[in-house]
Amino acid sequence: MSVLAGDLRESMTSSAMIAVKNLDFYYGQHKALHGITMDFPKRKVTGMIGPSGCGKSTLLRVLNRMYDLYPGQRATGEVMFDGRNIVAPGMDLNRLRARVGMVFQKPTPFPMSIYDNIAFGVKLHEKLSRAEMDARVEDVLHRVALWSEVKDRLKSSATALSGGQQQRLCIARTIATRPEVVLLDEPTSALDPVSTARIEELLDELKKEFTIAIVTHNMQQAARCADQVAFFYLGELVEIDSTDRMFTAPREKRTQDYITGRFG
Amino acid sequence: MSVDPASKHASAAPASSEPDKWRVGSALVARRRFMDRLATVLSLCATSVALVALVSILLTLLVRGAAGLSLVTFTHSTASPGLNGGLANAIVGSLIQTAIAIAIGAPLGMLCGIFLANYGRGWVASTTRFVSDMLLSAPSILIGLFIYQIVVAPTGQFSGLAGGLALAILALPIVVRTTEDMLALVPTALVEAGIALGARKWRVIVFICLRAARTGVITGILLAVARVTGETAPLLFTSLGNQEWSVNPAHPMASLPVTIYQYAGSAYEDWVQLAWTGALLVTLGVLAINIIVRVGFDRKGA
Repeated sequence: MSVLAGDLRESMTSSAMIAVKNLDFYYGQHKALHGITMDFPKRKVTGMIGPSGCGKSTLLRVLNRMYDLYPGQRATGEVMFDGRNIVAPGMDLNRLRARVGMVFQKPTPFPMSIYDNIAFGVKLHEKLSRAEMDARVEDVLHRVALWSEVKDRLKSSATALSGGQQQRLCIARTIATRPEVVLLDEPTSALDPVSTARIEELLDELKKEFTIAIVTHNMQQAARCADQVAFFYLGELVEIDSTDRMFTAPREKRTQDYITGRFG
Repeated sequence: MSVDPASKHASAAPASSEPDKWRVGSALVARRRFMDRLATVLSLCATSVALVALVSILLTLLVRGAAGLSLVTFTHSTASPGLNGGLANAIVGSLIQTAIAIAIGAPLGMLCGIFLANYGRGWVASTTRFVSDMLLSAPSILIGLFIYQIVVAPTGQFSGLAGGLALAILALPIVVRTTEDMLALVPTALVEAGIALGARKWRVIVFICLRAARTGVITGILLAVARVTGETAPLLFTSLGNQEWSVNPAHPMASLPVTIYQYAGSAYEDWVQLAWTGALLVTLGVLAINIIVRVGFDRKGA
């Protein structure tokens, strides 16, 4: 490892928002993650790439304990977030999920109005007056650049929005609960190129405030959006480095083969 | 050689010794055409037999039922033969017992459907599902007898409440099944999105899943209403029927199906007429519910 890369990793570790250490994950008997150790630096975008089934989404779903919904799925190891190991028993999962938000592959607007979509999550964690809630809704809609498009129809159904608008609404809904970390699971794979570009621009804004982890199949997207990139293969973390180094001088042959399109 | 458009078209092409690819063995084509027509004719015949039966029932019902329809039907209760009785007590009795049935059956059925769709994995769920499906096809007279045994016999009193309970048991499995099926159609991603915001599971189910499935669930409840309003057998041993006006659920209560059952076979012409009119009212009610379900909910549910 070059001195430069070493320095970089050092500086990133020092401000890790989430620190994963020796994490194993099981779907029943099947081991899907093998001893993952990596950091998610504060207010940086971490891109996670790799072929389907490599474990990148699995890791993302560990970070907000989404896997708890399904019996038989379990994680062992250490995922440190704000001084607590979040995969240890006794976590307040609802509180954790308020602090670590998630946006999904397909837009998931709730079957209610645009306003209520955003208010739903906020009401779970805060008691706001009507005016405060109005302000919060307007604020997050501004930040996802949706306000001008929907300000006259906040009370109409969110499911009538276009796919790209729905996804931006879902991001607004996620940041409305004021999380510290935002997880994005292939957030643009169901969207057209224009909507995709808007979401990517949005990420640049959001990383000023949030720590972001994004799973993507799109190498260009990882190159454009991420500050550091992690390459997963067969449940292992093959390589993690700054985006520049990953795409120009990867240390591992498997990484190079994947990002040049030789497999995956 | 038969001349069909295909061969004419082919003969316009330069002559060659190659076989004409537009032509297939004409015997085979003829046989397929014949089988195709035969199948069409047979299914049309079957459809018209069913339609003729249905339309004749409806027409007879309409003509004979409408003959006795007047304001008196709705303002007067059933009376002795020759005393110009109506069906007011039966109509109100049917409404009350259906209301009791849905008030009990719908929430219970929805809760049960929610359990099956969201928590049901173990043997409790599969047993519940099995019993519910059995109940769906159970003979309704058995349900009447069951309520007779556990409510009517111990209290020594036929009652509208007992009738409502019997109908509730009939409505229950319908609501359970539709609720479970409709909730199963809610995408997992929607549930996860709710959970990911930090909501507890019950809140996600009630405020997101049920809302997403609401048209389907309401449809199921309306279908249950349509089913129970036409039931006679479960009421024979429970609410019994009542000649007088009574809205007290603790007493025997009249209902349209039981009145039809009692009057249709009677020797009095005006009673038979009332039975026809009652049958028309029940049919129109059920028809109306079905139309509401189709027109009102299909479109929005899509």
